Amino acid sequence: MSWEKELEEKINREKLSEKLGGEERVKRQHDSGRYTIRERIDILSDKSSFQEIGKIAGQAIYDKDNDLIDFKGSNFIFGKAKIDGRNIVVGGDDFTLRGGSADASIREKHLKCEEMALSLKLPLIRIVEGSGGGGSVKTIETTGRANVPEVEGWNLVVESMGTIPRVALGLGSVAGLGAAHLACSHYSVMVKEKSAVFVAGPPVVEQIGQKLTKNELGGYKIQLKSGAVDDAVDTEEEAFNAAKKFLSYLPNSVYELTDQLEPRDDPNRSSEWLIEAIPKDIKSVYKIRPIIEELVDKDTFFEIGKEYGKSMVTGFCRLNGWSVALMASDPYSYGGCWTSDTCKKVQKFVDLAETFHLPVIYLVDCPGFQVGLDAEKKGTIKEGVRAMSAIWQTKTPWMSIIIRNCFGVAGAAHKRGSSYISRCAWPSARWGSLPLEGGIEAAYRSEIENSSNPKAELEKINVRLNKLRSPLRSAESFWIEEIIDPRNTRKTMCEFADLSAPLRTKGMTSRTMRP
Amino acid sequence: MIFSEVSGTISEILVSKNQIVEKETNLLMIECMKMLIPVTVEKRGKIIDIFVKEGDLISEGDKLLEVNYD
Repeated sequence: MSWEKELEEKINREKLSEKLGGEERVKRQHDSGRYTIRERIDILSDKSSFQEIGKIAGQAIYDKDNDLIDFKGSNFIFGKAKIDGRNIVVGGDDFTLRGGSADASIREKHLKCEEMALSLKLPLIRIVEGSGGGGSVKTIETTGRANVPEVEGWNLVVESMGTIPRVALGLGSVAGLGAAHLACSHYSVMVKEKSAVFVAGPPVVEQIGQKLTKNELGGYKIQLKSGAVDDAVDTEEEAFNAAKKFLSYLPNSVYELTDQLEPRDDPNRSSEWLIEAIPKDIKSVYKIRPIIEELVDKDTFFEIGKEYGKSMVTGFCRLNGWSVALMASDPYSYGGCWTSDTCKKVQKFVDLAETFHLPVIYLVDCPGFQVGLDAEKKGTIKEGVRAMSAIWQTKTPWMSIIIRNCFGVAGAAHKRGSSYISRCAWPSARWGSLPLEGGIEAAYRSEIENSSNPKAELEKINVRLNKLRSPLRSAESFWIEEIIDPRNTRKTMCEFADLSAPLRTKGMTSRTMRP
Repeated sequence: MIFSEVSGTISEILVSKNQIVEKETNLLMIECMKMLIPVTVEKRGKIIDIFVKEGDLISEGDKLLEVNYD
């Protein structure tokens, strides 16, 4: 007597589950250049590391004698896996079974996946395709009644935003609850030309008079620019690599701290060209990314959200092997001014750093908030104060290096007023309440108007005021703590990372971040 | 097609129709927030059309130039 027969029956069911939606549906998935969910998990995880939970949960068909005829698994697959030797939880939709919709799903599997990641305090990667377990128009018929909408388990999602890293990969058409899962993450990725993300797809949108293709409605260009999704890559393999790379800078949960990697770059390395990186002509712009690459450990800068709120570059890097969150103004976009989108980007990024205890370094070149009618219509000041509040609420070690402009309220947001920050400036730094270029005419109107030669008077005032704006004058009164040699900036940043390491404190922040 | 990333004023057009331009050539300059921001090409190509002129006020997303890349 043994239990072999029962085990064989289980294995048989598992094999049926592996067939997903059937040969034809799997072929259709492959023909459109997309992997099935099982292939995706295989590629993403370390070899043979995936331990599926609930593989034989699904829909079984029995004959009149109650013997199994056929079995289809649920269209959400999840379990524990390893990536780069590290435990994670991964869950993903099977698009070959009812397009990933709730009709072929078992709701409890979604909940268990979320609960498992949160309880085991492991990063969660959600692979989303279709409606992510949400209902469809047909749901009313399959259930026989109309459901009052609710998103059961969303409390777990909200809690995990403040507890574990959440990565979401949108690898096909993603709508409704699927889109919500993609957006509710610390980092999200789409595949160019293959993924589209929307609240509702083209057939629904056509009902309101908008005839659009999937790409026109929710392709990567739309969703990266809107900030709903962080990044887009060319292939699914690249999406998996992006997820791994993102996670490599973060701890498993807020109850851990990231380790120092073996430093592969000299922390004292100086860079001669940085002395002339900032143009003397104040109207000229410069490229910030080569400066970032020069300052951080070689090849460690991982940019997040490149197409959104472009006047701020945000990403993770390593400094002397330590994981650090880095923000830097990009003058190519609105001269580095904070637009409404920039402010939203800053909110999320600063919250992300605070949540996972990463020190922040900010390379400042901010002439202020974007001004003008467009800026007012987008509520720039409202988003601006939200960004400032996010910065003020941080406790993580913070360093600001003012490399050029620092003006107005947005400029002031380089420094939280609530606690100590490390701060220094390059000799190219300029600051004030308002750039002289923007306000001399208004501030000195009567002097200029009453002059016999207004143009000459304006120039005279300009010269007079410009002499006052050397950062060295500000340093006289200790309004700036230190002016550093740009060539030695990396050393300053690495020292900051070293000093910050023991200051990082494990645990949840008092306010969990919103997606 | 090259669209404007920012709103501002076209301060200078540096290329003309049918001109072959090398990678990273500045095509035109936009004055935005008192700064001069160049619009460049990512790859070598030929200027097919220019939709703006100096002094034009432009908004984010406006069409600037059409370039045929090699």
